[in-house]
Amino acid sequence: MSLLLVAGVVAAGAVAGGLGSLLGIGGGVFLVPFLNAGLGMDFEIARAVSLMTVIATSSAVSAGAAGRNTINLRLGMVLEIASAAGGLAAGITVERMSKGPLYLTFALVTALIAVLMVTRLEKRNVLSADVDTGLLGGRFYEAESDREVAYRVKRLPLGLAASAIAGAVSGTLGIGGGIIKVPILNAWCGVPLRPAAATSALMIGVTAAASVPLFYARGQVDPPTAAAAVLGVLAGSRAGLWFGGRARAKWLKALMALVLAAVSLMYFKKALW
Amino acid sequence: MVTTRADALDQLELTLGRLLHAGVITSALCLAAGLVLSMALGRSAVASGALTMGLVILMATPIMRVVVSLVVYVRMRDWFFVWTTVMVFVLLSVTIFLAWTKAGI
Repeated sequence: MSLLLVAGVVAAGAVAGGLGSLLGIGGGVFLVPFLNAGLGMDFEIARAVSLMTVIATSSAVSAGAAGRNTINLRLGMVLEIASAAGGLAAGITVERMSKGPLYLTFALVTALIAVLMVTRLEKRNVLSADVDTGLLGGRFYEAESDREVAYRVKRLPLGLAASAIAGAVSGTLGIGGGIIKVPILNAWCGVPLRPAAATSALMIGVTAAASVPLFYARGQVDPPTAAAAVLGVLAGSRAGLWFGGRARAKWLKALMALVLAAVSLMYFKKALW
Repeated sequence: MVTTRADALDQLELTLGRLLHAGVITSALCLAAGLVLSMALGRSAVASGALTMGLVILMATPIMRVVVSLVVYVRMRDWFFVWTTVMVFVLLSVTIFLAWTKAGI
């Protein structure tokens, strides 16, 4: 692997990680097209390398969030049954999927993410702290209102279904899948946005770990590429968090939705030609 | 001293945070060393060993998080979550078994 290519992958990882943390999503949805269409790597390699960065992001973000009570460990573990099953199923079957349907799926999911990113619901779902949270609910300190708030989990089967789909999409396309389950947990399952995002960030590590060892065994994780991408993503997501604290960039969301729409169109073309 | 359930969960969150932090730092160091060595020396056993170690530690970190959670839930005698965690662990074990046998190691 040439120095130039390593530098390119590190830069791609840094940009993807930075955008991901600025927008509150993993960077996989940017990294996969970057590696695949930008640097000309096979989709299989791009997917496997991206899943490695998903695990790194998950571990780093969750380590940083630990102790703030926003991660719901118990809800996360219950939903991980579904997301790991989805990831495993994709890891086993995706080899039989031909390029056309794969590109079409990627095009549809990026289009969906672009729409979700601009229309994302932000329901608060919070109750006063003395309420009974049930088996899976939680409490956390909400900085905006400067008090402890509680929430209860509703419609668990819907949350499980969303997690299973997110897991299958993760193993198929090489993304974390948080963008699929966070809005559903937030809008319909009673989980406020911050615990939904923190719990999802924890979950994507196990979700990716359910599929990526299979790709690794098939020789699709090119080690130097994966190393460069992981290091880039870790650096980029740190930088993104640092900027994110300083700038609330609404325009950035709109801009990235446009970028994703363009990526989506590109993969529609790839699928149909 | 009596520890409540909530205290035990807070403690678990901190323990898991440390575990994830250690995992991601160790793997990043191995990956950085492996990448630099492979650029400097070309394909060498040391470089590819460091890269492999970094990638394996990276993949093992979330799995270790599940294992540690399982131990803690057993100690808490929280059987619902013991079974939940066992199910996640079984799924991950299937992945590792399939990967292992396919790699022919």
